[in-house]
Amino acid sequence: MRYSTSITKGLSSTFAQEVLERDGPNELKPPKGTPEYVKFARQLAGGLQCLMWVAAVICFIAFGIEISKGEISGYDDLYLAITLIAVVVVTGCFGYYQEFKSTNIIASFKNLVPQSSNSFDFLLRKSLFERNASSLKSEATTGRAPPAFWSSIVCECMFPCKELEKETLQSVYFPPLQVCLSLTAKRLARKNCVVKNLEAVETLGSTSVLCSDKTGTLTQNRMTVAHLWFDNMIHAADTTEDQSGQSFDQSSETWRALGRVASLCNRAVFKPNQETVPIPKRIVVGDASETALLKFTELTIGNIIDYRGRFKKICEVPFNSTNKFQLSIHELEDPLDLRYLLVMKGAPERILERCSTILIKGQELPLDEQWKEAFQTAYMDLGGLGERVLGFCHIYLNEKEFPRGYTFDTDEMNFTTSGLCFAGLISMIDPPRATVPDAVMKCRTAGIRVVMVTGDHPITARAIAANVGIISEGSETVEDIATRLRIPVEQVKKSDARACVINGGQLKDMTSDELDDALRNHPEMVFARTSPQQKLIIVESCQRLGSIVAVTGDGVNDSPALKKADIGIAMGIAGSDAAKNAADMILLDDNFASIVTGVEQGRLIFDNLKKSIAYTLTKNIPELTPYLIYITVSVPLPLGCITILFIELATDIFPSVSLAYEKAESDIMHLKPRNPRRDRLVNEALAVYSYFQIGAIQSFAGFTDYFTAMAQEGWFPLLCVGLRSQWEDVRLQDLQDSYGQEWTYSQRLYQEYTCYTVFFVSIEVCQIADVLIRKTRRLSAFQQGFFRNKVLVSAIVFQLCLGNLLCYCPGMPNIFNFMPIRVQWWFVPLPYGILIFVYDEIRKLAVRRHPGSKYHT
Amino acid sequence: MPANKDGDGGWKSFLWNSEKKEFLGRTGCSWLKIFIFYVIFYGCLAGIFIGTIQAMLLTLSNYKPTYQDRVAPPGLSHTPRSEKAEISYSLSDEDTYRFLTKAMKELLEPYSEEKQTDENQFEDCGENPAIYKNRGELESDMGKRKACRFKKSWLGACSGEDPHFGFKDGKPCILVKLNRIVNFRPKAPANTSLPVNLQGKVQANLIPIHCSSKKEEDAGKIGEIKYHGMGSGFPLQYYPYYGKLLHPQYLQPLVAVQFVNITQNTDLRIECKVYGENIDYSEKDRYQGRFDLKLYVKS
Repeated sequence: MRYSTSITKGLSSTFAQEVLERDGPNELKPPKGTPEYVKFARQLAGGLQCLMWVAAVICFIAFGIEISKGEISGYDDLYLAITLIAVVVVTGCFGYYQEFKSTNIIASFKNLVPQSSNSFDFLLRKSLFERNASSLKSEATTGRAPPAFWSSIVCECMFPCKELEKETLQSVYFPPLQVCLSLTAKRLARKNCVVKNLEAVETLGSTSVLCSDKTGTLTQNRMTVAHLWFDNMIHAADTTEDQSGQSFDQSSETWRALGRVASLCNRAVFKPNQETVPIPKRIVVGDASETALLKFTELTIGNIIDYRGRFKKICEVPFNSTNKFQLSIHELEDPLDLRYLLVMKGAPERILERCSTILIKGQELPLDEQWKEAFQTAYMDLGGLGERVLGFCHIYLNEKEFPRGYTFDTDEMNFTTSGLCFAGLISMIDPPRATVPDAVMKCRTAGIRVVMVTGDHPITARAIAANVGIISEGSETVEDIATRLRIPVEQVKKSDARACVINGGQLKDMTSDELDDALRNHPEMVFARTSPQQKLIIVESCQRLGSIVAVTGDGVNDSPALKKADIGIAMGIAGSDAAKNAADMILLDDNFASIVTGVEQGRLIFDNLKKSIAYTLTKNIPELTPYLIYITVSVPLPLGCITILFIELATDIFPSVSLAYEKAESDIMHLKPRNPRRDRLVNEALAVYSYFQIGAIQSFAGFTDYFTAMAQEGWFPLLCVGLRSQWEDVRLQDLQDSYGQEWTYSQRLYQEYTCYTVFFVSIEVCQIADVLIRKTRRLSAFQQGFFRNKVLVSAIVFQLCLGNLLCYCPGMPNIFNFMPIRVQWWFVPLPYGILIFVYDEIRKLAVRRHPGSKYHT
Repeated sequence: MPANKDGDGGWKSFLWNSEKKEFLGRTGCSWLKIFIFYVIFYGCLAGIFIGTIQAMLLTLSNYKPTYQDRVAPPGLSHTPRSEKAEISYSLSDEDTYRFLTKAMKELLEPYSEEKQTDENQFEDCGENPAIYKNRGELESDMGKRKACRFKKSWLGACSGEDPHFGFKDGKPCILVKLNRIVNFRPKAPANTSLPVNLQGKVQANLIPIHCSSKKEEDAGKIGEIKYHGMGSGFPLQYYPYYGKLLHPQYLQPLVAVQFVNITQNTDLRIECKVYGENIDYSEKDRYQGRFDLKLYVKS
C-alpha cells in the first residue's frame, strides 16, 4: 500500500481526482523554451571559453596596470585581450547558430511526437537519452583520446532536465558532430525518417539485427487480390502499389461470371468524393477482404457502384462464422430476363459443398471428382502462398419457382442454396511493398540480419518472408528437409537448415538458451503468431548474442521491446502514441526501406565523424612537438600559443566541419556492421595512425620549414640547438648569428614570430593534405573525386584565404604574432603534404586489397 | 566496458596477460614488429628531413646571408648591459659595479695593442673618419680580409687604463657599438636631420652618436657628456663587415660615452641615438639605432 493503490482495483476514483487536482494531468508539458539570450550566453560559457575569458581579463588587468604606471609600452595586451574575446564570441556565434539549427529540426519533429505520456515512459525515455549521450562521451574518453581533444568534445556537464534533446546536443560541443547530426537528421526527414534523438542515428549505423514487423512495414498493409483460379488455371493479379504490373487475361466467359459474383456479393463501398484519388488509395467502408475485392473489381471491371445499380439487390445474407459464406440475390441487368441471380462467396470448401457444377470456359460442367481434385490442388497451392482464399459461385434461380415479387426470407433461407455453379477462387494477400525486396537485399549485403516478427499465421509469414527475401531462395527449414528426405524432424541436423519459422506457441515453451541456439543456428528467422511480449524476449536474446538490435513496432504493447532495443523504430501512420514515445526513430511512411536508408545514413555519419575526428586529432602532434623540441633541444620556440589557438579555433574548424558533407563511399552498404565494442569512434588504430604517422610527418614538415626560415635569415640549424636561453635573454641586444651579425632582442622576437608563421603555414598545408586523405576511409581519393564535396573545397579555399589574411594583413605581427612570410616558405612543406597523400593512398590500397586488416583505422 | 568483458582484474591482465603472453594487449613478437616498423618509418622520415635540410643548407652562402630584412637596420647596443634598462651602482661599494666594469674589460680585450700586431690580419685605417674600406666582393675568392685597427687609447678615459672606468669617481663610462651586419654600409647623416646641438659639428664619414635626457626636466641634471672614440662616432672606414668567416678579427668601432658631471642619487633617463641615412628607429624595438637607459649613481 505504499502508493495507496491496489493492483486489481487501481486508485479509488476520489483519490485519483484529488491527485489530479493536486498535480494536474499526468502528461509532459511542452518544454518551456529557453530564452535565446540564455542559449547564446551558454555558448559563451563553456570550459574552454571560460579559460579564454580569464585570460582576456588578465590581459586587461596587465594593460590597466601599464596605463596606471603611465608608461604604455605597447598595446599588445589590449590586442590580445580583444582577440581572445573575439575568438570566444565568434565561436560562440557559430555554436549558437548550429544549436539553433538543430533545435529547429528537433522542434519540427515535436509536432509528430505526442506530448502526453505516462511518467514511467518519460523516465525511461530520459534514461535512454542519457545513455546515448554518455555512450558518446565514453567513446571519446575510452578511445584514449588526448585530454585536449576530449575537453573540446565534452565540455559542459549533463543536465537531467526536461529539455532532453537539446541538452543532449549541448552537452557535446564539437562542431563537426553537431553539423553531422543535424545534416543527417535533415536528410533522413526528407526520406520519411524522423529521428527523435540525433545520436540514435549513429547507433542505427551499427545495427546488426533488424527485427521487423510484417504488416505495414514489409507489406503494404492492405489486402490485395493476388491470384485467381478459374478455367482450371491460376492467374496472377497485379499486386503492385501503383498498379504498374501485368494483368491477367480477362477474355474468358468464366472471368465475367466470377467478376460479377465478386462485384455483387460485396457490401464494401468507397467513401464519397474520391473520384480524383487513384483507386488503390481510396478509402473504403468495409472489411479487409471486401475492400480488396472492391478495389480489384473497380480496377478490372470499372465503375462498381454503377455496375451494382444495374443488378438491383433484392436481399442479402451477411457473412457469419457458422455459415462461412455470404450471399445476395439480384435482379438481372436485362429487364426482359426475369430470373433472379444468387451470388455467393465464402470459405472455398463450404462453397464447393454447395456446388454441383463448375464453370469452365463459360460452359457449365458437372462437378465430378476430377474437378474437385483440381480445385483441391489450386486451393492448396494458393493457401501455401500464405494467401487468404475465397470461393465464388452463383446460380440463376428458376423463373417459375421464384417469380418477380417473390419474398425472399433470409432467416428461413426459402431459396436454393445448393446445386450452385462454381465460378472460381480468388486469393488475397497483404503484398510486400515494392521497395522491400531490394531493401532486404541491401541489408543482407550490409551484413544486417533481418528477422521477421509478426502476429500472422506461420504460412503467411513464411510466404511473405520468402517473397521479400528474408528467407532466401533455396533455404529450407528443418521441416522442409524432413519432408524432402522423408525422415522424422528430430533426425534432421539443425545446422543444415538455414531458415526457421517459430510460432508463438513454440516460443513460449523454449528456454532462453534454446532461443539463443535457434537464433545462432539459423541465419534466416521468422517468428509468427507472436505476442508483443515475445518480441521483447526475441530482442533480449539477440542482444545476448552481441547484436545491436533495431526493432520496429506500432502497438502500445510494443513499447517495452522498443525501449529494450538499441534502436526502437515506431510507425508513423499505424503507430500508437506510446510506441512513438518509446521509440528513437519514427518512420513516417511505415516503410521498411526507410530503415535501410537510416542505417546507411547512420554508417555515413559514423564514417564522417570518424573522418572529422581523425582530421582534428592529427594536428595535435605538430602543435605539441614544437614545444617538446623547444624544451628538450632548446631551440627558439617554433610555434606560439596564439598561433595554435588560431589553428584550433579558426583555420581548421571549417575543413573538419566540411567532412560532414562528404558523400558515402560507394561501398558503404557492402560492409559488415561495425562492432561497437571494438570499432569505436576513436579507436587505437585511428589515434596511433593520426598521431604517430600523419602527425609525425606534419611535425617534420613544420620543422623543415622552421629551420629553412631560420637558416635563410642567418641562424643555421646547429646554432639553433641550445640557443634558447640566450635567444630569450632580454638584456642581450647583440646576439650573434651564424654570420656574426648581431641581433637585438626585438629583432629576434620578430624572427621568432616568423617561425611561428612558417610553422603555422606548414600545418595548414599538411592539413589540406590531411583533409584530402580523410575524405575516404577505404577508397582512393581519386575514386571519391576531389571536387565533389563543394563544401570541402570551399573550406580549403577559405582556410587558405584566412591563412593569407593572417600572414599579410598589416598590423598582424603585433596583434597576433603573424609575420608576412616569404612566398617560398609556403612551398617548403608541400613535399611533406604530397608524402602524406601518397603514404595514405598506399595504406588505403592495402586496406582495399586486404579488407579487415590492421591497416584500417 | 571492455574491462568487464575480460572479467575481474582486466587491468592487470591487460598489463601482462600470462596466458597469451601479452604485454599491454600484444605479444612480444607483435611489439617487435611495431618497433621495427616505427624504426623504419621514423628512420625514413628523419632521412628525408635531414636530406631536405642539407639540400637547403647547400643553397645558402657561407658568407652572405640569404635575407637580412630582420636584422637590418642595425641595433645599438651598450656595455655594460642594463638590467631592465637600468644601470645603478653605489660609489662607495665596489661590489655594486665590479661586474659592470668586468664586462667592459672583456669587451675591450680584443682591442688591446698586442692583439692587433699581426700585419696579415690588421691594417691601419687612419686616425680620422674616412670613407668605406672596400675589401672586394663578399663572395669572391679573396679569402680572409684584413680588419682595421682600433686603438683603445682613442677611448680616452674609458680605455681601461682606469680599471674602474670612471665608476669609482662618479664619472661612469658606457661603451656603445653599432650592431654588426654583414655587408652593411651605414650612411652618414644629412646635416639637417641632426639634432640642433650636433648640427655643423659632425665630421664627414662618421655616424655620430648623441645622448640626451629623455625627460626635459632632467636636462640639467645629466651634466656634460663626453664621447670618446675616433671622431666621437662610428667612422665609416670600419665598414662594411665581411662576416664571421672572412672577417674573424674584425673590430667594430666603439664609442665610449662618459657622464662626467652626473647628478647623484637621482634616476636619470638617458637616450642615446645614432644618426645616419640608413639608420632607423622603431616603436617596437627600443634598441634599433638608439637605446635608453636609466642611470642611478648612489653617492
